[in-house]
Amino acid sequence: MRKVAILGVGMIPFGRRDEDTLMDMLAVTGLKAMDDAGIGDRPIDGVYVANMGAPILENKTGLASALVDRLCLFPAAAETIENGPASGASAIKNAFFAVASGYCDLVLVVAGEKMRDTIIWKATDFVATMTHPLAEYIYGVTLPSMAGMFARLYMEKYGVTEEHLAKVAVKNHNNGLLNPYAHIHMRITLEGILHHPHAIVNNPVIASPLRFYDACPVSDGAAAVLLGPAEMAKELNKPEIVIAGIGQATDTLALQDRDDPTDLKAVTIASQKAFAMAKLKPKDINVAQVHDAFTILEIAESEHAGFFKKGEGAKALDEGRTEIGGDIPINPDGGLKARGHPVGATGVANVVAITWQLRGEAGDFQVKKAENGFALNFGGFGNNVIAAILRREA
Amino acid sequence: MFVDMELEGIMRPPELPMPPYPPKVVTMATGQQMVIRQVRREDVPAILDAIRPTLDIERDFYDVVGARLYAELLSWQKYRAANHYCIIGQIEGILVGIVNGRMYTRDVGMSLHTMTIERGLRVGGHLFSAKMEYQIEYLDQKEVLIVAESPIGMRRFVIDFELEPRPDIPHELGGVPSTALTRELWFKHRDRLVVGDRPVPKKLMEVAEREIITPTEKLINEKIMGEKRMRSLL
Amino acid sequence: MSDKLTVYKCKKCGRVMYPRHDRCLKCKGREFDEIEMPLPATGKLLTYSQLFALPWRYDVRFLTLGVVEFQNGVRAMGQLKTPDVKVGMKVKATWGLVREIRGEKLYGLKFEPA
Repeated sequence: MRKVAILGVGMIPFGRRDEDTLMDMLAVTGLKAMDDAGIGDRPIDGVYVANMGAPILENKTGLASALVDRLCLFPAAAETIENGPASGASAIKNAFFAVASGYCDLVLVVAGEKMRDTIIWKATDFVATMTHPLAEYIYGVTLPSMAGMFARLYMEKYGVTEEHLAKVAVKNHNNGLLNPYAHIHMRITLEGILHHPHAIVNNPVIASPLRFYDACPVSDGAAAVLLGPAEMAKELNKPEIVIAGIGQATDTLALQDRDDPTDLKAVTIASQKAFAMAKLKPKDINVAQVHDAFTILEIAESEHAGFFKKGEGAKALDEGRTEIGGDIPINPDGGLKARGHPVGATGVANVVAITWQLRGEAGDFQVKKAENGFALNFGGFGNNVIAAILRREA
Repeated sequence: MFVDMELEGIMRPPELPMPPYPPKVVTMATGQQMVIRQVRREDVPAILDAIRPTLDIERDFYDVVGARLYAELLSWQKYRAANHYCIIGQIEGILVGIVNGRMYTRDVGMSLHTMTIERGLRVGGHLFSAKMEYQIEYLDQKEVLIVAESPIGMRRFVIDFELEPRPDIPHELGGVPSTALTRELWFKHRDRLVVGDRPVPKKLMEVAEREIITPTEKLINEKIMGEKRMRSLL
Repeated sequence: MSDKLTVYKCKKCGRVMYPRHDRCLKCKGREFDEIEMPLPATGKLLTYSQLFALPWRYDVRFLTLGVVEFQNGVRAMGQLKTPDVKVGMKVKATWGLVREIRGEKLYGLKFEPA
């Protein structure tokens, strides 16, 4: 397998994008990645589009073929990848192997979602369709309630408090203020969302024990990467950002089938596989983007990925270690919490964020001396997880 | 504008006694404080300046709400609407939300509109509760009729407050059949929905009363949301 | 609609599963006995969440969902009749209407403090 590099990245600000259709967002972002790489007339051999909801929310299928048409990328091979909220990383994984195997040279991955057109209760239902149809969905379960049930057990087991969760939100909101692409640009304080008596109105419970500011927003948006053989980076005069490791793992669909529901096995295994392939250890990572659809997940994932021992993620947060200036910055771009979570786009957005970091292009949210980066994409409720490790080689 | 007070005597509707709403201050998620206070007729022009831009915004029925709110406030200002009140929310003097309503009769209230800067700050939650607090706890009404132009707003009210249907009493705004917030429903839910400290500290009140500042994108982003500089065009 | 919970017992290793898998979770066996677990039944509440912001067409202010473990080892999610519950509490499980989708009534587990 040859080395694969991220030659170009593209992103549009996440948020409420009323004027853009899903195809508009995918097309614009795809072109941005192509232009960023500066590939000129070089042909693109493969296209992957990552998306979860178009068939349900937009009554639209065949997105990849439609994108090839919009961008006149014929006769490129193309597929739409649906893996719930892990669609983005899945698309990157597929693109990676297409290039690594030598089957394709240049592969474009565009990930997008349009979720804000539909009313919140329908969007909630759409996201819930990924739960177990008989054992969970029929009860009206929502992802926030799955996270709530998980959080209740995790907090009890490891002593994670409401304040820890609020601190994740505050940190990520502060980081989001530095990221022009973030959906949410709003500073929040522990006082306003937790400690003050008025916080019961500012930050009501949405799925106990989780509150309003424990959940990411519903966003529209798209992100893209262009992959190619690593040696092309020099040719294009771009920094050589290599995908050093990719790991993926699955777990049971129904939460109740897991022996220990607090054990995010898929995160652990996917991360271990990625580290093994990259021949790196968690301590070698300078910057990480994890999947904080809910604040509890940032803490839990940071442990299961190997950055902290189980039960010590909250302490690391308290000590400021996961801040941009800390020794293991997590979600310097605001994470899903502030950057936003157009579900299909998130996996690629995390990789774009890491690429910016490794290139030194992250502007106000730049982490110093970022050479090795880690990105996690959490599909379903932890039943399909993909970890990716990127390193700067030149 | 010249006003013939003799003619006004004939034109102006009789008013029910309406005790004032005592202003209060709320701490927001941003850590800032929002002053919630009832306004007087003299304040209407400043508020209309803030509403005017919404007349061209189609999404979320801003244009309908804006147009109606504009008309209601203007009518009230010119003494052509009876028993009307308006309560606003201000952060550092910047107008972040407006709610209004009327006493339909001594016992029945008519909730009219809620308009806020929509930034996830829950200004609408605080202000809507404030006007229900006013109509039930200060105006001592038995129930308040509620409808909304936005289906999202309507559904939220009906579900959050467990509103009772009142299809036989048409709401002044028309649209969906009326629903009612009764005293019983209010007191059942109010503790999780109404917060605020009284009295408002003097300095905060001075800033609020000095000027009702129209919320521009720049002001909202910088003063309220905490942006250090404007997001560049991407 | 039946008022029993159908669970699947692996013929090879005896592991009882709900929901259904086509291979045993433990030994990957392919043959199962379908067992009707009679209701009402008592179980232990493992975790729960009171949720607001419900999926479309639930016209109530909140739902409370929980996962319960029964004595035969089966674990199942269901709707709790009250949010006033505690982890570890004994609950009684019955079968009832839990959702309506496009006119179709769906039945499942309902729990209440025992």
